[in-house]
Amino acid sequence: MTIVNHNEKIDTVNVVIDGIEMEVPKGTLVIRAAEQIGIEIPRFCDHPLLTPVAACRACLIEIDGVPKPQPACAQVLSEGMNVRTQRSSEMARIAQEGVMEFLLVNHPLDCPVCDKGGECPLQNQAMTVGRPDSRFEGEKRTFPKPINVNAEILLDRERCVSCARCTRFAEEIAGDASLELLERGAQQQVGTANDEPFDSYFSGNVVQICPVGALTSASYRFRSRPFDLVSVPTTCEHCASGCSLRTDYRRGTVTRRLAWDDPEVNEDWSCDKGRFAFAYLANGRIESPLIRENGELRSASWPEAMHFAAAGLAAAGTSAVLVGGRATVEDAYAYSKFARIVLGTDNLDFRARASSTEEAEFLAAHVAGRKLDVTYTDIETASQVLLIGFEPEDESPILFLRLRKGVKRGVSVHTVGPLYSLGSEKLSAHWVKAKAGSEAHAISGLDSEIVGALDSNSIIFVGERAAASPGALSAVSRLGSQTGARIAWVPRRAGERGALDAGAIAGLLPGGRPISDPTARSEVAQAWNIDADSLPNVGLTGTELVTAIKQGSTSALVIAGVDPSDLPNGDELIAGIENADFVVALENHHSEITQRASVVFPVAVVTEKSGSFMNWEGRSKPFSAAFREALTLTDAGVLSMLASAMNVQLNGDTRALRKELNSLVPWSGPRTDVNNHEVHAPAGTTLATWRLLIDSGVMQEGEPHLAATARPSVVAVSAAMFEQLGKPEVITVTGPKGSITLPTQVAEVSNESVWLPMNSPESHIYAQLGCGYGQAVTVKGGAA
Amino acid sequence: MITESTRIKMRELAGRYPNPRSALLPMLHLVQAEQDEVTTEGIAACAQELEITQAEVTAVATFYTMYKHSPVGKHHIGVCINTLCGLLGGDAVYDRVAERLGATHNGPSADGNFWLERIECQAACTHAPVMTVDWEFMDDVTPQSAVDVIDKLAAGEEVWSTRGPMIRDFQATEHTLAMAEDDLATIGNCVDEKMLAGLKIAKSGAQQ
Repeated sequence: MTIVNHNEKIDTVNVVIDGIEMEVPKGTLVIRAAEQIGIEIPRFCDHPLLTPVAACRACLIEIDGVPKPQPACAQVLSEGMNVRTQRSSEMARIAQEGVMEFLLVNHPLDCPVCDKGGECPLQNQAMTVGRPDSRFEGEKRTFPKPINVNAEILLDRERCVSCARCTRFAEEIAGDASLELLERGAQQQVGTANDEPFDSYFSGNVVQICPVGALTSASYRFRSRPFDLVSVPTTCEHCASGCSLRTDYRRGTVTRRLAWDDPEVNEDWSCDKGRFAFAYLANGRIESPLIRENGELRSASWPEAMHFAAAGLAAAGTSAVLVGGRATVEDAYAYSKFARIVLGTDNLDFRARASSTEEAEFLAAHVAGRKLDVTYTDIETASQVLLIGFEPEDESPILFLRLRKGVKRGVSVHTVGPLYSLGSEKLSAHWVKAKAGSEAHAISGLDSEIVGALDSNSIIFVGERAAASPGALSAVSRLGSQTGARIAWVPRRAGERGALDAGAIAGLLPGGRPISDPTARSEVAQAWNIDADSLPNVGLTGTELVTAIKQGSTSALVIAGVDPSDLPNGDELIAGIENADFVVALENHHSEITQRASVVFPVAVVTEKSGSFMNWEGRSKPFSAAFREALTLTDAGVLSMLASAMNVQLNGDTRALRKELNSLVPWSGPRTDVNNHEVHAPAGTTLATWRLLIDSGVMQEGEPHLAATARPSVVAVSAAMFEQLGKPEVITVTGPKGSITLPTQVAEVSNESVWLPMNSPESHIYAQLGCGYGQAVTVKGGAA
Repeated sequence: MITESTRIKMRELAGRYPNPRSALLPMLHLVQAEQDEVTTEGIAACAQELEITQAEVTAVATFYTMYKHSPVGKHHIGVCINTLCGLLGGDAVYDRVAERLGATHNGPSADGNFWLERIECQAACTHAPVMTVDWEFMDDVTPQSAVDVIDKLAAGEEVWSTRGPMIRDFQATEHTLAMAEDDLATIGNCVDEKMLAGLKIAKSGAQQ
């Protein structure tokens, strides 16, 4: 058998495994080559994404001419090598059996109460290659059970076979080398330092790759047996990385989520938020439609609520649609159509966060309808990577892992921003210091060495925060066209990229079509089977739209998945909703919005519907319902019924919507470039802030162990500012609305900025300070 | 407390290697020189100076047996119990010393002034059985001579290694190990006729 692609010139070697002749690329390990021909060699420490250590010795095989058995996981094949595995070699069989017997010497026979029982490589391989019984008569080693390596991950040391998968993952992949093999000999054990837990956003992966039941999670421990679970593939809804996950459920309840192997996206990994934050799916759901009567919400039947909503929307004046960044592509597309066809408005936005007109222009010019311009794989071979207004470890953790992989292969990373974070350190990034809000200056003033080295093989990653830094996105646009470097926009929320392509933003129809372009209008009108003239003209977005809602010039609202506290002007939105003629809310949990809405429709969460998310690459990541029997409707389903109540036909079927959207191939017509926006960073100290991966986000509710792994809320200042403030233990930051006082952390921060987490316990920026990223704040030592 | 002068020495050690992390072993000895054991604080200091995690330092500090995790006391006593020393009386020496100190393997004496450890081969079989005091050799010991040495040390009397310098104390030895101060290596008879006897026979060809 040959596993070589002859189109590429690569060096190969000819080998024989169990009598089967193979030609494999030079450098292939015995264990990998054997897998290719369906020969399974037992293994514990081996993992294709980790460096070989040959720690467990389970994979011993015989090589002709080599006197002793060799580990297949670390043995590179060379020309003419004749390998014999347990299938054809008595030496290999006995060696494997012997190793297995040794591994079981200290392993407890607690499979019936162990989480891993039923899906355990040790259990399985002990059955396939082990002896029927043990000759060991001594006492097995025991340890006090279990210890927490962090708040979420527990360790039963007596089960460990010292394969070092977890410790290698921690160091090589996550870059958090705080999990180590301690002690030696018979006492060797995995552990952490006395006062330093395994502090990692990726800690859950060690549970998944542990080949025995030594590492378990607090959230799943003792909850279920693997063979009682139903497993379904899904796409993570937490961020725009687009990870493939596996959802395991039992009797209608999700018990755990695992990373699914997706080599093009998340490889074999997931972050802890994706893995552990799923309690919200079941807790506190809205169960039936609600309508407001005499100022109070009451339950209503679907038909009653539909007629109520239809009449309300029909009677109201100018309307708008706000769809938060969490919708699936199909749902976002339904909102996009609903606004244009049913409500006849282009007042539409998916950006439930700080946004700008500059950003809308940037998205239209560089992002909408452009799929797979930059991919995860491209990162590994990029010449340089620039991060602007983007903190990958917090905002797209899987992208962060891929960047680390790239860095190991020699990719250099530059980060433009006010803080050199832990994540920057783990990427060995070069810091281009910028005062928060004045990134544009930093980009225009980039070292000629960096700019000179940017080419078409370089990638500029821009985060959603760049929208809050005036002029930054136009500077990025200029830098891109000047150097040929490719630009990738990485939003934080899972639905934003898809919503953009679905046209859920004023000015843009699906596929990145400008609504002002006659050709674009007619293409869409044809697909929608309507008259192009009936399409509305350019509407309002972002801040302007919220202001219009507050002022009452837009008086009817369809709103879904928006939390006003995520908006810099959330108070205005709430005031607008209170004054609006009619507000239709589509939600799965109660919120500030549903409390004030005229009618509330419950909608399905990801486990109850099929759909797709488009990740930052522009890659479509479809998923199907875990609970097919769920009676909840998708957003598109509700909109379809509502449209029908308003006498407009709108297909709400997910597949039909996807097909129709795909038929609207990306816009190839002219695009307007980003205007040159004025750079106006405030004088004095500015606020640097972003959302930490694990924080007070509503989708993380109900999982206290995960919450306990969050990074502490602190105020980070530079050493110089720390001195200047008189070395205080706590620092108070004050904005227009109020103050936040938190413990001091001296870090590498621009002297003109101060950093706080955006939405963490005791640090809710918009609600407490009343200003946002890049805006002026005052800083003082001590409490307020 | 890890003093600033120790920190300065740690930095000096880190500067001796192309990769600063290589200095971790001597740095841990330095912690023992300062604190008589590897403390959590010492681990944190090494981690901070080398910019590695405390877990990585702990892994090293718990792997090597020369690093202790509770106070050693004034002197470290090692008795070789490997085959040759053991057969020639090492086991008996160990038992007597353990009894005299009221200590068990890898633990402190009853009064906390000594630390007893069964040690592995010290490459000194010529003078088996050997005992070490603060890692200096006491050659050809007997149960009685070993206990005599300990009595003298307990009484604060001067004791010399049978082939090296005067015994100071555990922390002083740790400092020497850490900083590789080699002026002590020239004191005493490091090589004698007995040690060279085998080599001479080999060279004479008498084996054939």
